[in-house]
Amino acid sequence: MEEFTVPIGPQHPALKEPISLRMTFDGEVVKHVDVRLGYNHRGMEKMAEERSYIQNLYLTERICGICSHSHTTCFAQGVEKLMEIEPPKRGLYIRTLVAEIERVHSHLLWLGVAGHEAGFDTFFMYTWRDREIVMDILESISGNRVHYAINTFGGVRRDISEAQKQTILDSLGLLKQRTEYYTNIGTTEPTFVARIKGVGKLSKELALSLCAVGPTVRASGIKSDVRKDDPYAVYNEIPFEVCTADTGDVFGRVVVRVNELFECYKMIEFMLKNLPVGDIVVKAPRRVKENEVVSRYEAPRGENLHYIKSNGTDKPERLKVRAPTLANYPATVEMLKGCFIADIPLIFAAIDPCICCAERMVELVNVKNGEASVVSFGDLKKLASEQYKKCGNKPEPVSIAKQLEKIRRKS
Amino acid sequence: MKIQILAFLPELLKHLFRKTATVDYPFQKLVAPEGFRGTPVLYPEKCIVCKACVRDCPAEALEIVSVSETEKKFKMTIHNDRCVHCAQCVDSCPTDAMGMNKEFELAVFDRHNLKIEYVYVKSTPAPRTTPTPNTPKT
Amino acid sequence: MDILKTLLYLFVYPGLLFLLIYSTFCEWFDRKLYARFQNRMGPLHTGQSGILQPIADIIKLLFKEDIVPEKADKSIFSALPVFGLAIVCTAALYLPVWHYCKEASFNSFPGDLIVVAFLLSLPTLIFFLAGWHSTNFFATIGAVRVLTMLFGYEVPLLLALLSPAILADSWRLSEIAVFYQINPCLLLANILGFCIAVITLQAKLERVPFDIPHAETEIVGGVFTEYSGKKLAFFRLLSDIEMVVGAGLIATVFMGGFPGGLWWGLLNFVIKTLIIVFLLSAIRAACSRMRIDQMVSFSWRYLAPLAVLQIFIVILLKGFLK
Repeated sequence: MEEFTVPIGPQHPALKEPISLRMTFDGEVVKHVDVRLGYNHRGMEKMAEERSYIQNLYLTERICGICSHSHTTCFAQGVEKLMEIEPPKRGLYIRTLVAEIERVHSHLLWLGVAGHEAGFDTFFMYTWRDREIVMDILESISGNRVHYAINTFGGVRRDISEAQKQTILDSLGLLKQRTEYYTNIGTTEPTFVARIKGVGKLSKELALSLCAVGPTVRASGIKSDVRKDDPYAVYNEIPFEVCTADTGDVFGRVVVRVNELFECYKMIEFMLKNLPVGDIVVKAPRRVKENEVVSRYEAPRGENLHYIKSNGTDKPERLKVRAPTLANYPATVEMLKGCFIADIPLIFAAIDPCICCAERMVELVNVKNGEASVVSFGDLKKLASEQYKKCGNKPEPVSIAKQLEKIRRKS
Repeated sequence: MKIQILAFLPELLKHLFRKTATVDYPFQKLVAPEGFRGTPVLYPEKCIVCKACVRDCPAEALEIVSVSETEKKFKMTIHNDRCVHCAQCVDSCPTDAMGMNKEFELAVFDRHNLKIEYVYVKSTPAPRTTPTPNTPKT
Repeated sequence: MDILKTLLYLFVYPGLLFLLIYSTFCEWFDRKLYARFQNRMGPLHTGQSGILQPIADIIKLLFKEDIVPEKADKSIFSALPVFGLAIVCTAALYLPVWHYCKEASFNSFPGDLIVVAFLLSLPTLIFFLAGWHSTNFFATIGAVRVLTMLFGYEVPLLLALLSPAILADSWRLSEIAVFYQINPCLLLANILGFCIAVITLQAKLERVPFDIPHAETEIVGGVFTEYSGKKLAFFRLLSDIEMVVGAGLIATVFMGGFPGGLWWGLLNFVIKTLIIVFLLSAIRAACSRMRIDQMVSFSWRYLAPLAVLQIFIVILLKGFLK
């Protein structure tokens, strides 16, 4: 069989979001991978320049659905530095508490997705059922299941009552028990272990040189965690371990995430028991002096980075977001080389990809000569309709606005 | 390493006779918890038309226009189709005129049906605190 | 009278009508069990606790748009589902369900065990052809996987089916069943073979952990990627009927068949096949999908030697009994 190229995505059941992986196969073995991004660009950075800081807080939250708290915290930390305000201790504790609960929910979700990609749907159903406990905790703390919106500049928006504290502690016991059970299943079920062991190898050296982040790099035996390396919020007061594995394969990434879950439970318990009394928020100014700042945050998927530049108004001049998934793409390409078709979804899912998080810019590149060019919206439209004609379709695609108008007239 | 054939089986058999974790949703509903951020509502008798909510709304879902200058009548439109349910308007409001109810089943056939309009006379009680967008309500 | 009975046999019970209804019931049973294993509810609203859901699904598929790929061979592409369905329905007729014939007849003759096994392996070839003629990359990969898997499970399945036949000294399904009805204790000698047969049947039906040819997260729909509408409905029905026939075959050979004429025979058939469907569902829920190389090495490293061992046990036992 000679080599042939197949586009995996932008629409494929293994991918939950659109991304194109052009793969060259030799039989069932992957020879070459070409990652193409840009299907989910939302222009969020540009949007942020036109909104006030307080509005941007909710905009950055919507960069990602799974780790929504990580992006707002990263942004809020940076802006607080620019505003030169220090949130009170209790506020920081609650912020960190939500961050850790979010990590629990994200890792449980990932475990389920890994099971689903390996065709282990029962595992997926059970982990997601128990993830509901975490979602309920988050909902009771913040008022929403996904976009918690607990952060504000100078602290958090909602306090935690004694009763809430108790319910969280109670459900932690159940979660711990279930996680132990899943650890047992995930590392002993023969069909599952056979699928994840030795798959998607990433050596320590390669992980370092390709700048992988988060559980991907920790599974290759490198202790890299922003919470330890550059403590923010209250991580310098909370005792915790950075979990690593030496295997550097998907199995290692499962082990790292499961161990991190246990660390999370410990941290949540510690924070709830040592919650300081006092205010949860300080007053923040609306305008920010001219300055710039880089803020780092360890999201469940890895290091999250926001660069904010202020210009003295109530709107940022520039916001740049580097989501962890983007940092992991080069490593993924290396991992995918030489694997079987059957391993593609598992390896790709193992970095916990959040594609829309990573889509920061779109560049038009000519594949033949590698030239990048800037095209206006009108030109792009013209190109599209030319392409449309070439494919043998009707000469002019009917505009959506016109169709909508037709529908409205009818009704 | 330990390998256990059909490690999952006991758990599966146990669940065969257990109550399901899912509910028959449209017929059986779960209750939203206390403090749930549902649909924004306005209490018109408290509104002093400072427009702090309009200024801070990240989704531009709120709109206040003057209906009659002489009677000090205003119209507030909550575009619930644009609302992202962040409850920043509740935090920004200096007079507690905004609130969130627990309504979350918002599906409609036409997004314009989600618009909520209030026509009211501007109230003039002295604000309890100065309008600060970042002070949270407990 | 005989003609009427034959017609009833062909079209009503255990022929076409019964098969269609019972196979959808089995699918519902399987889905409901699978859901219960996962702490879900499963089908719920069509009929009493969703019992009509599989039928509703098939009716819905029948009315859906039917697309044939431009580059596919249209006649073969369209003929394959019908052909496959006919093959499994034919296989069902050989199960000794209702009337036992003392003499050889059109549906019971020495060697019909092999005929049923052969008819049950034909759908695999149909799947291969379907995938190959779809001219889609994912379907082609699926088709290749179907054939690769066939070489894995077919031999252990046949060996496992042979061991009770050797013990019963017959290659005729009804005689094997009668033999074990007289000596039920001898069924215990075939337990190993029974386990192998259930596992290989799971592979034949392409269900988790052997759903490699249409692994959703890897190769989209596998061999069925390009199939839609009526043709897909036929393929789904084919899989359901194949499950019933496979379960019926295993029940005949390993569980003593279905004695008791029309009504008791029906009850026997339902209970015994449902037990096997239960086992199949449990395997489906408890495992994760294997990779194709793991599957082939698993069946040659473990299943085939164990099946040979089973035959040895049976031969030794037979010598001992004589």
